[in-house]
Amino acid sequence: MTADGGDGPMIALERVCKRFGEATAVDDVSLEIGRGEFFSMLGPSGCGKTTTLRMIAGFEEPTAGRVWLDGDDVTLTSPRHRNVNMVFQDYALFPHMTVAENVGFGLKLKRIPRAERSGRIDEMLAVVRLEGLGGRRPAELSGGQRQRVALARALVNRPAALLLDEPLGALDLKLRREMQLELKRIQKSTGTTFVYVTHDQEEALTMSDRIAVMDGGRVEQLADPKTLYEQPQTAFVADFIGTSNALRVSVDRREGRHAIVEPAPGFRIVVPADCPVGGELQVSVRPEKISMLAGHGHGANGHEGSRIEGVAVERVYLGSVSQTVVELPDGDRLAVHELNDDDVSEVAPGDPVTLLWATRHSLVVADALGARP
Amino acid sequence: MEAAAIPVRRSSRAKRLVQPLAFMATPTALLIAFFLAPMLVMLGVAFDRGLLDGGVGFNFTLTNFTDVISDPLNRKVALTTFEIATTAMLVQLIVAVPLAYVIAFKAGRWQVPILLFLVLADELNPMVRIYAWRMLLGREGLINEGLMSIGIINHPIDALLFSQFAVTVVLSTSYLTYTVIPIYGAMKAIDGNVFEAARDLGAGWWTTTRRVLLPLIAPGIFISLLLVYIPLFTDFASPALVGGTSGYMLGNVVNDYVLEAGDLNRGAAMSIIMLGLSALFALVAYRLARINRLES
Repeated sequence: MTADGGDGPMIALERVCKRFGEATAVDDVSLEIGRGEFFSMLGPSGCGKTTTLRMIAGFEEPTAGRVWLDGDDVTLTSPRHRNVNMVFQDYALFPHMTVAENVGFGLKLKRIPRAERSGRIDEMLAVVRLEGLGGRRPAELSGGQRQRVALARALVNRPAALLLDEPLGALDLKLRREMQLELKRIQKSTGTTFVYVTHDQEEALTMSDRIAVMDGGRVEQLADPKTLYEQPQTAFVADFIGTSNALRVSVDRREGRHAIVEPAPGFRIVVPADCPVGGELQVSVRPEKISMLAGHGHGANGHEGSRIEGVAVERVYLGSVSQTVVELPDGDRLAVHELNDDDVSEVAPGDPVTLLWATRHSLVVADALGARP
Repeated sequence: MEAAAIPVRRSSRAKRLVQPLAFMATPTALLIAFFLAPMLVMLGVAFDRGLLDGGVGFNFTLTNFTDVISDPLNRKVALTTFEIATTAMLVQLIVAVPLAYVIAFKAGRWQVPILLFLVLADELNPMVRIYAWRMLLGREGLINEGLMSIGIINHPIDALLFSQFAVTVVLSTSYLTYTVIPIYGAMKAIDGNVFEAARDLGAGWWTTTRRVLLPLIAPGIFISLLLVYIPLFTDFASPALVGGTSGYMLGNVVNDYVLEAGDLNRGAAMSIIMLGLSALFALVAYRLARINRLES
């Protein structure tokens, strides 16, 4: 559909900056989005993701840098002449037009003949599963249906890329989950490049091929969902994607290629890092990677990873998992997730526990960009 | 409960029923006395033979109406009035739509100050405004003097004042507040993203205006028409002061029947015809506005 030639990226941002007066919304962002890729920009509000999307759409002009679309420099091209279409957060449907008129708006402006136009409208309404609703007005549709109209209105123009600005934000949780799968299905069936902006990490992980995690106008990490979760590079990413325990430690000695933190007996953290003795590290551990044994004084039993004794202070049932908060001798607290299967432990607040995790799960993260040891 | 500490005054059932009526009584009486009664008197006068048979008692007749309608001068004035009112209305809409757009979407923190200024501008005494225009448009007015001093014209243009043109200009600025505010209200109800959506789908500013903006503000435009177009038809102060003979309007006809000729009967008949036409227009505009609201 978008086989305009070339194997290069569909969209490329080259050192793009955007300042509004004194405030910097986007700070030197460079990235490439492949053809047919489902690409997400994820981050808290104010991180610059929407501004970046609007620069791709053409609604904002970069203060510096270039925007490339399908091999062409479109930095200064107006939105109406860019072959990308946008799905707005609140849909921005034309309330005075029927569903079919909404969907056909772009085609009409391109002077597509009536017969072809209505064919393409029907075809697109079928793709978004709104057959037979072409005569309705937006006010007569549910939120999910309006969302589908907004999608159809953009996709019917066969854009080189579809830009989606938090499109599911207004829907309730169940409908949002349904639409996530639906979006993925539509993206696959049309082969269109999707650029998706969201602050919901679950949404981004579910749908995306790759995700750019943004904070403070910069890309903190750009990777596929699994890498982001398993190997976050910064404390921000580790904390924003899923939950994680952050520990600040100083290295006491080295064993081969590992740094060992062992301030007291019964407190040993093994970190796979090239850090000299006395160096400081920021370590992140996922709660579900930690196993918990009741009681203290367990032998090492061949366990070569981290091993800490602490006291359970809080236990919460979360459905599929139980979360236990464990207080360490130095006052730090770690969250531990246990699957609620038949083997789940019966730890209660006040019980002594021993925490174990494999060396590879001690993730070294940078405090901020560029500060990685 | 310590209800006894605070005595609660209980009104009786009868009092509760009567009280609202009592409150209504005064305005209702005033409405009847000062609005309905004169209307009835005017209706009576319009259908009375009046001075024709010495003015004694009530003698039903339709001649007042037939006289007024069949007078060729009145027909000519009606046409002039229609031209002036329609031109003035169109000019005000052409100014009001962009102005309302700027206030609603572009003015930011100046939004309320600009609205206040519009309301204040309307508070300006109409006489002062009209005389200001006389100073601008007259033989020795600013415009003629200015054009002569830069040598574009040799003699002052007399047609600027005491003409149909002068009345149109003055009326085009008289009701701007009432044209802008309903349109502004309609615009505030629009999700501004639809303009970006239109642009995104390939629409230029004109297509966006025609296919998105105008249909969405149609209800506001209808209200503006109701508030402004009807008063434009009946205005008589502006044509009297800047119109001369060629800018003579229906309002002046009524004025002259009543105050100059002392012919209350024909003046009343003329007023009732104009009232009827206004009501008809209002009804049509209301229907159209309702249809549009249902659609959007």
